[in-house]
Amino acid sequence: MAAVSTIYSTQALNSTHFLTSSPSSSTSKQVFFYRRHQSQTNRRFNTIITCAAQQTVVIGLAADSGCGKSTFMRRLTSVFGGAAEPPKGGNPDSNTLISDMTTVICLDDYHSLDRTGRKEKGVTALDPRANDFDLMYEQVKALKSGIAVEKPIYNHVTGLLDAPELIQPPKILVIEGLHPMFDERVRELLDFSIYLDISNEVKFAWKIQRDMAERGHSLESIKASIEARKPDFDAFIDPQKQYADAVIEVLPTQLIPDDNEGKVLRVRLIMKEGVKYFSPVYLFDEGSTISWIPCGRKLTCSYPGIKFNYEPDTYFDHEVSVLEMDGQFDRLDELIYVESHLSNLSTKFYGEVTQQMLKHADFPGSNNGTGLFQTIVGLKIRDLYEQLIANRATVPAEAAKA
Amino acid sequence: MATITTSLNIATQPAVITSKSQPARLACPVRLNNPWNLGSRATNRMVNLRPVKATPEGVISDKVEKSIKDAEETCAGDPVSGECVAAWDEVEELSAAASHARDKKKAEGSDPLEEYCKDNPETDECRTYDN
Repeated sequence: MAAVSTIYSTQALNSTHFLTSSPSSSTSKQVFFYRRHQSQTNRRFNTIITCAAQQTVVIGLAADSGCGKSTFMRRLTSVFGGAAEPPKGGNPDSNTLISDMTTVICLDDYHSLDRTGRKEKGVTALDPRANDFDLMYEQVKALKSGIAVEKPIYNHVTGLLDAPELIQPPKILVIEGLHPMFDERVRELLDFSIYLDISNEVKFAWKIQRDMAERGHSLESIKASIEARKPDFDAFIDPQKQYADAVIEVLPTQLIPDDNEGKVLRVRLIMKEGVKYFSPVYLFDEGSTISWIPCGRKLTCSYPGIKFNYEPDTYFDHEVSVLEMDGQFDRLDELIYVESHLSNLSTKFYGEVTQQMLKHADFPGSNNGTGLFQTIVGLKIRDLYEQLIANRATVPAEAAKA
Repeated sequence: MATITTSLNIATQPAVITSKSQPARLACPVRLNNPWNLGSRATNRMVNLRPVKATPEGVISDKVEKSIKDAEETCAGDPVSGECVAAWDEVEELSAAASHARDKKKAEGSDPLEEYCKDNPETDECRTYDN
């Protein structure tokens, strides 16, 4: 696994050094060359050595719910293969998830104030004053360059900052949390960013389902909790929408009048146009407006059925394409039927989306647009990763010619 | 083959060593210089005293209940103050933690063989033959 390197160093001012590493296995990636600047003199070191066995791809995910354990993360890591698990032998309350190719970091770990600190100051976790963006930027930058970091752990149970854990740079780094796109420097480091936008009605319905089983909670307390957090959420978290390359918007269904259970959902996948290595999914004809109800003669669906919509649009002054699904999947053949009519899915074989959805049929959202679009975004990220890696492998070869 | 004529040691992990305007960095593995971190490095007691088992679920439920009561009290006085908002944020955080704990418990569940196989998939009992 170790790269074979030849290093020459001289004391001479004007000289050229070459550092080459021969790929000894599939893990080492690049051949790179180095030329020392001839005008520089330096007391300490005469050689500048740059080595990068891998360049990490960084994905940002903005979500309110929690960290790393969310369904989206599990679907994403599953697309790449392998199960994501907390680091073995470490703090059991760690928020980090590690699989073969991906590492998911929870941005809550960069809280500068722990729970008591926030209580004293009267700020929520949503407030940027409670987060250390400098540290976040430093560590994400380090991981992206292939340097391991000691990342703090925020223990959600005790509300304290625990001793840090060592994070090795992965092939794909996912930063998930409330503020991945808040700080401009961190935003620059992201290769792709996603925002999960849950509408207020759906959020309320989900929180009721989640918390009603918890003793101590009542409808009023759940409502009060949402209302209290709303101003900070709207001020700090919501504006990140405009920077995201893909937004998954979850709204109440339009197929059932006056539905407030939040079981049937209308999900919109808003994809920014013109993003490098990202080609939006489309239905039938790219850039046109289509409304499609697959249920009919060839496919029978049960109530309330499925309705698709595809159209170009503008979102915060950006050109976007919006793919929308309203309704639920009941059967396997509905899913495969829909998949066969969508284009630009970045699948490696026919039926891959269906296969991924079936693999995790027990995950929430597996029968509606949330699961479908999360899976599709996962495949898009895989496609982006492969393109990025292929591109980076060719760049040093070109630089050597120069 | 490789002839290392300098005193530089190249570890198996990559490193960035520069002599320019930036200060010289340490060789791999690099540790970032964080002030809050240095204290714990000196005394490693905390590191060795890591809990072996994660916090049990009943503890979290108690915390949720307590935090709701706290929040209601704090907000009874002044509904728009920072303290009130922070208190409800704490409720939300704890509820999320409680629900994660419940999901984890459900997922890990009941089968000791599953748990063993998660950590040791190559043993005879755990091998699966997919194709």
